[in-house]
Order: sequence, then structure tokens, then C-alpha cells
Amino acid sequence: MVGSGLRIFNAYPAFARRGELFCCYPFEHKPIPAWLTFGGWLGGARNWHFAMMWVLVVNGLVYLAFVYLHGEWRDLVPRKGDIRDSWQMVKFYAFKRKDHPHQGKHNALQKTAYFLLPVAGALAVATGIAIWKPVQLSLLTDLFGGYVWARYWHFVAMLVIVILSVIHVFMVFAVDPYSIPAMITGNYDERNSPEARNARPFYHLFPRRQSVQSPPEAT
Amino acid sequence: MKFDPKEFVSIGGIDRREFLAWGGIMSAALLAACNSRGPKSAEKLLRYAERKNRVVERALFRHTSMDAVRPSAYDARNKLPSYFISRTVPVWDESVRGKWALEVSGLVANPMRLTLEDLQRLPRVSERVNHYCVEGWTAVETWTGCRFSDLAKLARVSPEAHYVDFQSFDDDYHESWDLESAMHRQTVVAYGLDGKMLDPAHGAPARVYSPVKLGYKNTKYLTKIVFMPKMNGGYWSDMGYEWYGGT
Repeated sequence: MVGSGLRIFNAYPAFARRGELFCCYPFEHKPIPAWLTFGGWLGGARNWHFAMMWVLVVNGLVYLAFVYLHGEWRDLVPRKGDIRDSWQMVKFYAFKRKDHPHQGKHNALQKTAYFLLPVAGALAVATGIAIWKPVQLSLLTDLFGGYVWARYWHFVAMLVIVILSVIHVFMVFAVDPYSIPAMITGNYDERNSPEARNARPFYHLFPRRQSVQSPPEAT
Repeated sequence: MKFDPKEFVSIGGIDRREFLAWGGIMSAALLAACNSRGPKSAEKLLRYAERKNRVVERALFRHTSMDAVRPSAYDARNKLPSYFISRTVPVWDESVRGKWALEVSGLVANPMRLTLEDLQRLPRVSERVNHYCVEGWTAVETWTGCRFSDLAKLARVSPEAHYVDFQSFDDDYHESWDLESAMHRQTVVAYGLDGKMLDPAHGAPARVYSPVKLGYKNTKYLTKIVFMPKMNGGYWSDMGYEWYGGT
């Protein structure tokens, strides 16, 4: 979806209406590098985009239904104190705090990311429909500020999804590789959790420092 | 419990070497896919999806849904791109081809040949609407002409006609439409742009214009409007853009 979307975007890599300027995109008329795109040409990319959009929608609905039916949405909805806890996680990763903040299933930063991701996904779908049918579904398009802005929010939603996904995958490998097999088989060993290991990204690669390296119970 | 960094290289039964090998293969596959059209075998699936999307799009179509220009939008004026498939701007040469006339034919009780003057005598409408290009840009313009639905009424279209083909003298450019979209109030056979007569750069002497279709569906340099029982593809539709191309 992202690759074909970028190929479509490259057919007119700008947001401004003809004869106007656009305020909020610094790279107007600068195409996305071709190696990031998919579809070969505009028509091919559109065909992929309009076929795969159904996969994205169905996938999203299955995910939401699953999270709802299993009650796992409770682990993801924002709660009071999340901003404070997120800040503590940032401080921990920035070595401004020694011990890993206490966490439940997810730490506060994770929670924020996993909550924002479906929101951005829903935004991507809604803005996508808005620029697919700007006349027939003009109420939806107007909701996003018209065709030009709906196209912009579609792009922004894509960026949010890409950035969150890249950080997410990076952090899985960097701080919680033990969760990878657990994603498929279950049986996550809590003794290997980032909290138990006081894990920062790739912390085993850093020079050994007592305060960082030793879990609290070992000292 | 002490964490052993060596454990990091054997996650889920994959050692580092395997991990790098798989990573390499996956990255190579990803790079090979870049800017490609995707696998040939997918073409069938994509065409299937396009046919199904068409059903959804036709179900969404309402004659009452109108395109509205946002109050803050400016007219594109000379920033409206000029587009044609011939090597040079197609110009109707009267000394060679005789007087231009628009043929309305096919499944109609009253086939017609309308000169530009005949078109101008029909009830005149001006629509200030968005142009939605397949490339993603929009442009605001005012198109003047007669409603397509008025032409259809005059031609007395047969109930067997479900599609209409717009043909041109710009090489073999044509695009066929579903009749509903053509009968939409904002679909006009336009001979004026921004208060002036249409110029050859934008489809003179007359073109079809509707905000309910993407730009490529709006045939310029019109010669024939043919009512048909079946769809007849089109220049860009045959090339791979969606046949429906609706907004």
C-alpha cells in the first residue's frame, strides 16, 4: 500500500491545487525516490492500491474485532498518567533514569504507539475513501477540509504508520527480542522482559557500567 | 537472573548467520520488487479487483451528489495543463475536413449532427467545478456548454443503451462511460472555458466535461457521441487505468 501510494503520489508529488501554493509540505514537486515506490507506473500502482485497500480494511477490521472480543483493548486505551509514564520511559532510554519504570503488559511508550497505530490506520482508510470519491462522498471529503487537505492527511497518516512501524520493529529487536518467538508460540517468559532485564536498546552492546548492567537483585 | 548477550543471537531457533541470510534474501526480494509492476500472475487478480470495485463505485453513484468548489479555491486559469495524445495540438482544419459537427448516434431514435452553432443554441449552462486528474491534482475551472442530458433527450436514447462512447479527432482517443454518469447534471458538452470559447489546447471545438469522472474520461476534441448497449473501453482504460474512473 505504501509503495503503490508513493508511486501514485509521484505522478503529482505536490498538494497544491493548480494555480495555487500549498502551505504545509516542504518538498512540493520533489518526487519520492523510485526505489521506494511500487507498481511501475501510475496505472499499475493505482490498480495495486485499489485492490490491496480491501486487504487493509479487512485486516484492520479483523484486528479490531479480535482486540475487542478478547478485551485486550483495555491494555491499549489511553489512561491518566500515560503521559507521565511515557516521559519516564524516555528518561530511562536517555540514561536520565537508572531503573526501568514499572510496566504491565506494555510500557507507556508502547501503549501510546499501539493506540496511535490503529487510529492512524483508520485515518488512512477514511482519508483514502475521501480522495477516492470526492464528489459522491463529498461530506467525508469536506470533513477533512476538502480534496487537497484530505490527500494531505492521507499522506500524513501513511507517514505516521511507517514511522511507528519502523520504530516498533527496531525496538522489538533492540530491547525485547524474546517477544519474537512468543508472538507466534505464546509462552512469554517474564524473566526476560525488558523490565526484568532493565533493557535499553541494544544495551548489551554498550560498555559495561555497573548501574546499567546489573539487574537490581544481583547487586 | 543474569542476561547473557550471547542469547541475543539465537532468538526463536534462528542463529545470527541464518538471520543475516534471511534478512539478505528478504531485502533483495524487496529491492527487486521496487518500482516493478509486481508479479505477472497478479494481473488477473488486479483486473478482478477492478471489476468488483466498479460494482461498488456504481452503487455509490448518486445523481444528487454534486461537486462543489471550496470558497477559498482559486481558478487555475493558465495553470490548467494542456493534454492530448497527438504529436501536436489537434486542430480541426475546415479546409480539409469540412465544417466540424458533433455526431450523436448509436442506440437513439433521432440521430443528429450538431454544428457548434446548434450546440450553442441549446440551453446554456456554466459549471464552476473541480477537475480531478488521475495524477492527483485538482484545478478549478468554469466550463460552459449544454448539458449532456439535454442532448440525450433530443436524441431520444433507447432504453437498451447503458453506455456511451465519447470519440475524438485527437488520434484515436475515446473513452466510454456508464450512462448514469453521463446523465449527471454536471456533465456538459463544453465549448467554453472561463468565459471564452474553448481553445485548441483544451479540446476545441467541444469536449465532454464532468467533475464526476477523472480527467482522462473527459474526451476532448469531440467528434462523436455513440450510445451503446455495452461498454467500449477507452484509450487510457485499455492501457490500464480504471475503466470507471469516477470521483
